[in-house]
Amino acid sequence: MKRGPADAHTTSVERPEDFDAFWAAIMAEVAAIPLNPRCEPVPLRSTPEVEVSEIGYDSLDGLRIAGWYCVPRGSYLSPPYPGLLIVPGYISEPTLPKSWAKMGYAAVGVAPRGKLRSNLHYNPGYPGLLVDNIVDRHTYGYRGFYVDACRAVDFLLSRPEVDPARIGVHGSSQGGALTVTTAALRADAIACGAAGAPYLCGFMDAAGLTHSYPYEEINEYLRLHPAREPAVRATVAYFDGINFAPRIRCPMLVYVGEADDICPPETGYDLVKALNCPVEMHAYPRCAHDAGIYWEMPQVEAFLARHLRPAAYELHAEPTVG
Amino acid sequence: MATKTETPSTRPGNFDAYWNGVDEALARYPAAAAVEHSPRRSTEFATSYDVRLTSVGPYRIFGFLSVPRGLGPFPALLLTPRYGSVNVPPHFDDRQRYVVLTVMHRGQRLADEPFAAAYPGLLTHGIEDPGSYVYRGIVADCLRGAEFLRSLPEVDGDRVGIAGDDLAVATAARRPLFAALHVQTAVLLFHRLMEARARTSAYPIEEVNDLLRANPELGAAVARTVAFFDPVHHAPRVTARTLLPVGDQGALDGPEWLQPLAGAFGGEVERYPVTHEGGTDHDWIDAWMARRLGVEARPRVWSTE
Repeated sequence: MKRGPADAHTTSVERPEDFDAFWAAIMAEVAAIPLNPRCEPVPLRSTPEVEVSEIGYDSLDGLRIAGWYCVPRGSYLSPPYPGLLIVPGYISEPTLPKSWAKMGYAAVGVAPRGKLRSNLHYNPGYPGLLVDNIVDRHTYGYRGFYVDACRAVDFLLSRPEVDPARIGVHGSSQGGALTVTTAALRADAIACGAAGAPYLCGFMDAAGLTHSYPYEEINEYLRLHPAREPAVRATVAYFDGINFAPRIRCPMLVYVGEADDICPPETGYDLVKALNCPVEMHAYPRCAHDAGIYWEMPQVEAFLARHLRPAAYELHAEPTVG
Repeated sequence: MATKTETPSTRPGNFDAYWNGVDEALARYPAAAAVEHSPRRSTEFATSYDVRLTSVGPYRIFGFLSVPRGLGPFPALLLTPRYGSVNVPPHFDDRQRYVVLTVMHRGQRLADEPFAAAYPGLLTHGIEDPGSYVYRGIVADCLRGAEFLRSLPEVDGDRVGIAGDDLAVATAARRPLFAALHVQTAVLLFHRLMEARARTSAYPIEEVNDLLRANPELGAAVARTVAFFDPVHHAPRVTARTLLPVGDQGALDGPEWLQPLAGAFGGEVERYPVTHEGGTDHDWIDAWMARRLGVEARPRVWSTE
């Protein structure tokens, strides 16, 4: 198979005129909902260096969202700590970011709606989330999902041990997408973001470039409902990372695999072209959805450490998976 | 033929009795297969189905099945479930070449009623007692999937492959109907688990560390249980030609770490030194399985114009 160079790709994504207004209304709606944060220590998962807690908070539509909060013990490292939001991949479970906490971060592994422990009232399944109400931007599954990740920033801001000027976000695949959307929607609070193999960028281009899941869900949906293509295209434009990109002000790191059959690298390049913030991009030939993490993980650690200054930056985190 | 090597994990004296008991328990329940056409995932080249089967318990499990259109029989591929709540349907490329069955074991999505697995938590669920350990049933779920796949008239029984972690090894050992086995060594759970846990704080193995930090007195019981699942003890019964991807020296999928396992297989073993380039590694492994099962490779790394 042959394709043009990924960095020469031109996106088909168009930005709706009311994109910012659409999201401003949603963020205003959620801002009116009290966070009601809960933080319950879990001794079983805690270590002498890191205290692990199960957390919960309220989000859009009144849904209760779960997560893990891992924070250095005061006897190990003194506060304040930089905050770090670790956002999950499409099929992966939210991680317990203990290794990040051991490096000195107050780290949240968030479980947006539909993930285990946040799926009591919303459970589109996997496969399923990507096309859940995809013909209607007002009820599309990712509307609340994106907001749930943003609310984790509010959780971190509610913690007295967290330095509010040093909050970052990181993830790969869907985690890369949530890194972009959170950095955009919470540009007031996010100091840096590291996005691997960013998913949910150039939805329709991606579905045309791959037959791998999750984008294959769109191909399957349109095989059954071809007449809905315009409605699908119109909806996903409001959720496309490429359209969120211009809103990001903080430094960003983006890394891709140039043979990624899940999140086509063309769409990663399209994302980077849309960013107006300081951005580093690393591309790995012959790497797929791993996005070169074998070589990239030290770069991610260094990038986050440069901007967030954790106390034990010489330690290492578990490799990020999407 | 690989040479035999001393293994640091002790084979339980009642290993065979334990697994024969699982087979007997499974045999008490008919699969009672319910196969429903899935129009959404069907294409011009393959028909997809949602499959429900009964396993030990009794417990109803789920599978994604895809069958190529046209005159069979076709080579087949059993994909055992990953550690996590979600398994994706068979890949487009595989659906064009194989009858493919992806099993969702008890606790995973689509097989999570009445038991929904916790992550973290599944690996240590009932681990104090091999008789009630959740993985006893999970292995049975995979065995049931293997039996079901093999029973399909569209399947060429001489060309059936299997891929996955420890579950694939145990399945290939208990159901010697596979021509090829790809062991996903980077995500093995049970291989030398009690040693591995000292070398990592990554989940899911960290679940065992969590449990034993809080309950150190359970160490001996946990070691006894997980020995039943160590692929090194299943490997001698595997007749399939086996592929072991091998990682870096010192890693938990490194050559010295995997040596006891490589030496334990009853059939021929090939080692593939991983490059860590996901595309390169995928394409090599895909081609290996395709050669074994007599179909064309489907490389996913593309060239640039």
